[in-house]
Amino acid sequence: MRLAGKVAIISGGSRGMGAYEAELFVREGAKVVVGDVLEDEGRNLAEKIGEDAFFLRLDVTSEADWAAAVKLAVDRYGKLDVLVNNAGVSARGTIEETSVADWDRVMDINAKGVFLGTRAAIPEMRKAGGGSIINISSQLGLVGMGESSPQYQASKGAVRIFTKSAAIQYAADGIRVNSVHPGPIVTPMTETRRSDAAVQQVMISRIPLGRYGESEDVAYGVLYLASDESSFVTGSELVIDGGWTAQ
Amino acid sequence: MAERPLRLEGKVAIVTGAGSSGEGVGNGKAASILFAREGAKVLLVDFQEDRARETLQMIHDEGGVASTLQGDMTKLEDCERMAETAMERYGRVDILDNNVGISQRGTVVEVSEEDWDKVMTVNLKTIVLASKATIPHIIASGGGGAIINISSIAGLRAHSSTPYTASKAGVIGLTFSMAADHAADSIRVNCIAPGLVYTPMVAPRMNDDLRQYRTDAAPLKTEGTGWDVGYAALFLASDEARWITGICLPVDAGLTAVHPGTFTPMNQQTRY
Repeated sequence: MRLAGKVAIISGGSRGMGAYEAELFVREGAKVVVGDVLEDEGRNLAEKIGEDAFFLRLDVTSEADWAAAVKLAVDRYGKLDVLVNNAGVSARGTIEETSVADWDRVMDINAKGVFLGTRAAIPEMRKAGGGSIINISSQLGLVGMGESSPQYQASKGAVRIFTKSAAIQYAADGIRVNSVHPGPIVTPMTETRRSDAAVQQVMISRIPLGRYGESEDVAYGVLYLASDESSFVTGSELVIDGGWTAQ
Repeated sequence: MAERPLRLEGKVAIVTGAGSSGEGVGNGKAASILFAREGAKVLLVDFQEDRARETLQMIHDEGGVASTLQGDMTKLEDCERMAETAMERYGRVDILDNNVGISQRGTVVEVSEEDWDKVMTVNLKTIVLASKATIPHIIASGGGGAIINISSIAGLRAHSSTPYTASKAGVIGLTFSMAADHAADSIRVNCIAPGLVYTPMVAPRMNDDLRQYRTDAAPLKTEGTGWDVGYAALFLASDEARWITGICLPVDAGLTAVHPGTFTPMNQQTRY
């Protein structure tokens, strides 16, 4: 098994990509702390997976919640090897339509949340002799799109370059940090946009492989980066977008 | 728990440059062994077939299925014979891993026109020809496919090997374009940009000091091997990467994530 003996925290793990990653990681031998603000879905998921997964309420903007998540991983499973900073929210609108409050909300969850998670995880990963942090950015952290929003794109761009900063600063501790850049994925987060057939048609027309991605399409990329198969990979951007940004 | 299915079960792969140019395991050899280990039947193609036979022996030792073929990927007829051989021996083609490559140092002033043409032919044109010959067979096989091209971080940065850099940058552009061209055929095309990995290709010009310098050049300060590149190729070849196309994945211990001056002073790169 590709993650045998490893302990992981997945933020935003209650549903969508995070939930698929939790199940996949356990199938590959890992123990997983599922963190999310969606408590019912998270508990149900952890119960379904069994003893190798445990749910914890995790608001990624809370330093105290992150400290508790890391402590839980260590107390329950003995150490921490892998962190997937997956939690995020989407937003739409122009710069003029964007309130300061909504800018801050999206930047707090999508960007500051990654910083806080990474900062909380590093000491335990160092103790474990190294680790792998996977930050979920977006294709919209690489290229612009009119239908998105300034705060979403800025937050995902922040995740992209934060990843490189972290990769360089903690390489000496054997901690690898990479970013994943999904295109549009069929998840609860994209439900609103997908419910508009005209918008969906435009989106699909931009994707060379001709379909939205599925959670598992992203989860297997995250698995590769979490596993020792990628032990020479850090500071890299893994784009999983059906070819969108290659054009 | 049920044993997981092999990651390339039922697939047929062609690996060009499947032998290594010396002792040890290069990118093509590692990918070939990993593909076979995960259930693929592998056609091992090399200009020097005896090198591919070493890879074959290692695959046979693990109980895998593979066979060798002599071929010069700079010749279209050899590429066509390669694709036809895979169809004859294994009935289909799903994966093409383009590993053929050579080094070439020098500035544009220093490099001879002949050497320039040679590196562009071996590093870039071979991918065009092998893909040209193989893609129709992938389409005919009916299951979509995956093409993996081996570029280099030298295709992303100056590397004091100007002809090599130009050829490897060409591989990246070719990859983007092939990905767009063949997405409608469900053929994914991606490239890997290995960093300073220690492989048989670079071994002849290495010594202990230089190996240490290269190891220390990237943030992780570990020495990469052909296996690191092979595992990336395995991921991109498998259905796990079924929604990934047109990407360039650096496997470089963080080297290209860093400001060039931080770990790799450009004025010292002649030491590479």
